[in-house]
Amino acid sequence: MIDPRIDRSTPVIVQGMTGRAGQLHTRLMREYGTNIVGGVSRRMETREVNGVPVFATCHAAVQATGARTSIAFVGAFQLLEAMQEAIGAGVRYMVTPTEGVPVHDAMKALELTRNAGVTWIGGSTPGMAVPGAAKLGFLPNDALRSGPLGLMSKSGTLSYEAGYRLAQRGVGQSVWVGVGGDPVKGVRYADLIPFYASDEQTRALLIIGEIGGHEEEEFAVAIEAQRFAKPVFALIAGSSAPEGVTMGHAGALVHGTHGSFASKRAALSAAGVEVFSTLEDMERTVADVCKNRGFV
Amino acid sequence: MYLLEHDAKYLLAANGVAVPAGCLMESAESIPSDLPSGPWVIKAQVSAGGRGKAGLIKRASRREDIAGLTRGMWGATLKGRAVHSLRIEQQVSEASEAYVALLLEGAEGAVRIIMAAEGGMDIETLPADKIRSCVVRAELGALQSAVRELAASWNGPRGNALREAGEQLARVFLEREAMLVEVNPLFVRKDGSWVAGDAKLVTDDNAIERQPEIKALLERRKSAYPEAHVKLEHGFDYVVVDPDGEIGLLTTGAGLSMMLIDELRQQGLKPYNFLDIRTGGMRGDPARLVSVMQWLAEGRHIKVVLINVFAGITELGEFSKLLVTALDRVPELHVPVVARLVGNGLSAARVVLERAGIPLHTDLDGAVREVKAALERARPAS
Repeated sequence: MIDPRIDRSTPVIVQGMTGRAGQLHTRLMREYGTNIVGGVSRRMETREVNGVPVFATCHAAVQATGARTSIAFVGAFQLLEAMQEAIGAGVRYMVTPTEGVPVHDAMKALELTRNAGVTWIGGSTPGMAVPGAAKLGFLPNDALRSGPLGLMSKSGTLSYEAGYRLAQRGVGQSVWVGVGGDPVKGVRYADLIPFYASDEQTRALLIIGEIGGHEEEEFAVAIEAQRFAKPVFALIAGSSAPEGVTMGHAGALVHGTHGSFASKRAALSAAGVEVFSTLEDMERTVADVCKNRGFV
Repeated sequence: MYLLEHDAKYLLAANGVAVPAGCLMESAESIPSDLPSGPWVIKAQVSAGGRGKAGLIKRASRREDIAGLTRGMWGATLKGRAVHSLRIEQQVSEASEAYVALLLEGAEGAVRIIMAAEGGMDIETLPADKIRSCVVRAELGALQSAVRELAASWNGPRGNALREAGEQLARVFLEREAMLVEVNPLFVRKDGSWVAGDAKLVTDDNAIERQPEIKALLERRKSAYPEAHVKLEHGFDYVVVDPDGEIGLLTTGAGLSMMLIDELRQQGLKPYNFLDIRTGGMRGDPARLVSVMQWLAEGRHIKVVLINVFAGITELGEFSKLLVTALDRVPELHVPVVARLVGNGLSAARVVLERAGIPLHTDLDGAVREVKAALERARPAS
């Protein structure tokens, strides 16, 4: 079973830590509570950043710190190599926020992580968080609140909006995973169903999806096959998007009926998932269910 | 990027795949000088399926008939996409039809190969027993051996053509980093020779910087691919979703921007565009905002601009200053602006926007109500 949970003691290394994004997010993650124990920088222009040691290779970082979890802030054309290096060094859990990863690189990365049994979240992900404990990435603190809702999303911003609205209504999250909007990526919705089924803090599940691909449909099939017993909700964006135009996310592309809003709604509804096409409906219903059933 | 058939065939031909001789007609007035010998098939160039049924594919045997036959095709739309060019190519006669495609199988991180000994129609309408398909890792040897295995399902010229075409398309799929390549129909002659009757090629926008052939094509054919061109030139995504739209959107985040368009439409409103401006990429420079405002100013019916930024990291005070600077630089965009911001630096943003007379909301529904009020005010009193 893939278990994305981390806590305040999970040691984490940051690949690309001395870059602009790497430095910023290392600081913000540490402020939130993440146990960052080391960074990797090829250029090695510094030995430490704010007391966190910097290593020239993943191998050295893993050897010195014992970390098996990495978050990489590297460019799209460099990501595949960074993942190869991390996995070769013994990393077993990787989060890669990088946007714009070429699909053919993502195919190679997926084969690599599957063969090595590595949990991979990304690309194009804002990361994951266990609210109140730690986060890998940059999910905004305004939207994070500890609570009963498992949350998975392809889109960063739409999940911020949804998480923020629910948090304001008192409904927080157990483990929030941004699966990202790329067509080929690491963890997908369906991969985490066993985890959310067994996770005691999780009492209900919300997926935030969008047009394109088949992931929501795969999730619907898996929810039924695994007899997932907790309430499941879905918010799907893109019901009015034109066919054949990429709407920001490379994965959000509709060809014919494949990947359309109607196809997703039908599959999810048939699996007993309550599907919403507006934030307000989602927010009201999810909050009501969580309150009426004593989850909050 | 979903390539127009003409460009897909150009790329396939450049990579050794046989296509019928053809040329691109870009205006109703002039027949291209590189017109091949006839008879011809004339095909509207639009990135959507179903052209035949929509009357956007015609046949001509005399040169003087071309202008008349094509008159109704210019500016016609299919699934919201307008026809701006036509491909005129040599008809292929005395050939049978087959189907071959390679496409990305996202969940597997692999490639699906599909073949059928019938072609010309939508593959989804063929009975399952006519189709052969398998999923293979994205590696040339593996793809080509799978192609050979599938093609061996058919004897004679068809099997040979499917094998040859499949092997070539597998190489193109990998080398050009495609997400989909489909040839339907694949015309097969009795002697086993073949030619790609139609071609659908979807390339990966994220790989374009290391695909010089595709990048050059995009730069040469800017007007045919406005969205991909914006992304390449400016580093963010902008799509006009309704040329008659009344609400210009200045938004960040693909998912939230898409959702906002859906919600506005559900309320009977008319958003003009999709935008994921990526505030993180602005780096203290108003250039992106200026570009977007100039594009919004081109919308003839725009009556209000709605700004929606849910900032994970962006400093909103800084963003608001850039916003006001950009608005000053684009005086041609003279419509009310409504802002909805959440995140760090909200109080600094409030001061900056108040001084500029821009109403600020923190909840999206409140901002949308203000947008509606602005639209009401903009309507001529009747």
